[in-house]
Amino acid sequence: MFGRLRKAAAVGVVMAAGACVGLGAMESKPTRAEGGTLVWSIPAAMSLFDPPQSCGWLTKNATHMIFDGLVELELGKPEAGWATLRPALAESWTISEDGRVYTFNLRKGVTFHDGTPFNAEVAKWNYDRFSNPEAPQYSKVGAAYLSFYARWIESTRVVDEHTFEVTLTQPHYEWLQIGQSSCGQPEMISPAAWEKHGDEDIALHPVGTGPFKFVEREIDVMVVLERNEDYYGEKAKLDRMIYRQITDPATRIAALRAGEINMVTEPTWDEIENLVDEGFQLLLQPNVPSVWYAQFNMKHPALQDVRVRKALNMAIDREGVAREVLKGTGHAEYGMLSAGTFAYDPDYKPYPYDPEGAKNLLAEAGYGDGLELTFEIFDYGWNEAWEKWIQRDLKKVGVDVKLNKLEWMTYLGKWLQGMPEGVAMNSMGWGWSVPYWTAHATRCDHHPPNGVNGGWYCNEKVDALYSEAIMTQDQAKATALYREANRIIMEEDVAFLPVFSYHNPILLAPEVKGFVNGQENWYDFTLPYIEE
Amino acid sequence: MTRFIVMRLLTIVPIMFGVSFFVFILAHLAPGDVTTTLTGPYATEEVREQIRESLGLNEPLPVQYGKWLGQILQGEFGKSIANRRMVAELIFPKFANSAILALTSAALAYAIGLFAGIFAASRPYGPFDRFTIAGTLMFGSIPPYWFGLLLVLLFSLTWRLLPATGMTKIVGGGGPVDVILHLVLPTIAAGAAPAAIIARTVRATMLEILSQNYIKVARAKGIRRGTILRKHALRNALPPIATICGLQLGYLLGGVLFVEVIFAWPGIGYQLWQAIQARDIPTIQGAALIVAVAFVLVNLAVDVFNAYTDPKIRISEGVRAR
Repeated sequence: MFGRLRKAAAVGVVMAAGACVGLGAMESKPTRAEGGTLVWSIPAAMSLFDPPQSCGWLTKNATHMIFDGLVELELGKPEAGWATLRPALAESWTISEDGRVYTFNLRKGVTFHDGTPFNAEVAKWNYDRFSNPEAPQYSKVGAAYLSFYARWIESTRVVDEHTFEVTLTQPHYEWLQIGQSSCGQPEMISPAAWEKHGDEDIALHPVGTGPFKFVEREIDVMVVLERNEDYYGEKAKLDRMIYRQITDPATRIAALRAGEINMVTEPTWDEIENLVDEGFQLLLQPNVPSVWYAQFNMKHPALQDVRVRKALNMAIDREGVAREVLKGTGHAEYGMLSAGTFAYDPDYKPYPYDPEGAKNLLAEAGYGDGLELTFEIFDYGWNEAWEKWIQRDLKKVGVDVKLNKLEWMTYLGKWLQGMPEGVAMNSMGWGWSVPYWTAHATRCDHHPPNGVNGGWYCNEKVDALYSEAIMTQDQAKATALYREANRIIMEEDVAFLPVFSYHNPILLAPEVKGFVNGQENWYDFTLPYIEE
Repeated sequence: MTRFIVMRLLTIVPIMFGVSFFVFILAHLAPGDVTTTLTGPYATEEVREQIRESLGLNEPLPVQYGKWLGQILQGEFGKSIANRRMVAELIFPKFANSAILALTSAALAYAIGLFAGIFAASRPYGPFDRFTIAGTLMFGSIPPYWFGLLLVLLFSLTWRLLPATGMTKIVGGGGPVDVILHLVLPTIAAGAAPAAIIARTVRATMLEILSQNYIKVARAKGIRRGTILRKHALRNALPPIATICGLQLGYLLGGVLFVEVIFAWPGIGYQLWQAIQARDIPTIQGAALIVAVAFVLVNLAVDVFNAYTDPKIRISEGVRAR
């Protein structure tokens, strides 16, 4: 069964046990093409429902249904290699010849859920909230979250009632898409709601223009949304969407089997095959921008020798991780350009599994008698399965790895501070739908506390390539620049140990139809419905 | 008796101060910085500092403690940092949910524990006693999360008799019957270990009392076994039994975290765990304090009960107070 699933994931369609189980849309003959309630068991808590101040993929799954931005990702075409932008509150947009001025032609006749009309003044009000410290609605927290987006903004301007303009400090052809991240979201809230509830409480009263309206939120229990009947675009098929928090993986699966919920993400890998056999639908998406990697600490005494870093990369059987640990829900990753971006090269494999070669390199570097390293990891509910695989593989070439596992918040605090000398590497798994994401973990000016390059890697040649890439409109040329940067990072400097890309397995009850597992960690809930 | 209760209530004051102090210190000693979740990975240290200042987190700890204590004395628990709700709005409904589960679990544990313990002791080393010893050993040793999963597997997934998760049905649920159906499995999972502990304590206490001379005299007088058990043995065994029952109820009220997680029961233990993960200090402090208060009050009730049933206790307490 799983051999078939893996093979099918690669070609884009999965046929299993006579049922159509695919990467995306489920084809069927529904007796009722809309309606119903989708209950998704979310594995952790959501953050604030105020787009600029909210962070996390789970929260984005609710906020991008309540709120709209000027543009949004097309997540309804699962076969595409990466998600592209499509109009949302902006019907169309143009970029000036010098690549600095973005002009948005806004949709007419759109109102927020509270009846407030949407126009260019409202768009500017929202952008000022995170980019203009002089504005009364300016939010320090929102500006902090969205600094990766707002840092490029020089000014914003209302051209007329339905035209809004943003001028950047320099040409940046990925700027609009980097706004499609989950940590800090430039989506529009109702200024009238903000006036009524104030900045402090606006997150408790989310009012957007999106396809779903907020109904209620019981903290750490559930969130309920209902279809917005006045939505300007294609209306959602579901009547209601319920996000129910169930943190324990076994409980999530039990609730699915008991029929109490009809959607599970983050399933336990060992259970997937059984659940598919029981008739549940499995959706995989190989083009999610989500690289799981270890970042090397360039200040660690042993790792300052590039031969050691190379040897560690050669010692890992990544295909084994994908096959044995992930059970086909991910693929081996050899570079830091993530899948789901236009610059991704699926054939880039600089370090095939070569334990003998790794041993020789370690001996050359003076570590033939062994080496001890500390690997800091975080608790993600996966029982450190892939990290243990790394530990086991490195043991085979004479490297003793001590896994230092930390609870998420403790880990995040340490991760943001950068690795101290005694820590050899730490783990992370993330990505954006644009290749510029890698710059966050690699640029010289992103060393903590000014960024998240906690491995202290720095190569000005790489930085220059990134700077040139974002100013290049021609995607083919930008791709070449990103791939060259990736080659330097992985082959000359060997600053990372990428391990796998995750395929975001989703399990659905048989009655759920039309669901698309798009190229992101958040989904388009306007598409599915419940077949009665 | 009134004097005894007043004295006991007065001893609660320093206990609660101590509890509030430790709760406050532990919440602040936890590694990790709440501004990490509040401002995200790209925030500058300057912004983080501004956020700390606005939350009063950069004031000296004694000042923060004093302010928090002042709030608590006015019945204010503050505002959650992580989700901006009033802490009281968050924790009291969750505590009520835990109390429902704790009280039903305690009732089950008391019923089974007292029945099994008394009858096992009344015929020591007989078949029922041996069965009780084996059963209590088993249920006292089974981890509640494993037992909970087993119950779900059997009653929810195999026989489809009872719901697996939550407090009510998510779609179209609600009402007392729905809650009762959802209560059954978590109650059994949470009540099994306390039932075993209580049964073993009752059995041991009763065996000790039944070997006393005055019981032998009573038997020699020809008093019936039931009367001896009820009037002579059980009454004297009540103080230690009440103490262990009170302790078990206190633990259950504290939120049987594993049971709440396995059954997705929205209780105070689960809420506290979520608050710790988010470093939501006001919620951590509020939730921990309410659990501690409940624990102290239950034990106070046990002390009063013991004093009521055993004059020696209230007399000795009264003498000590003088």
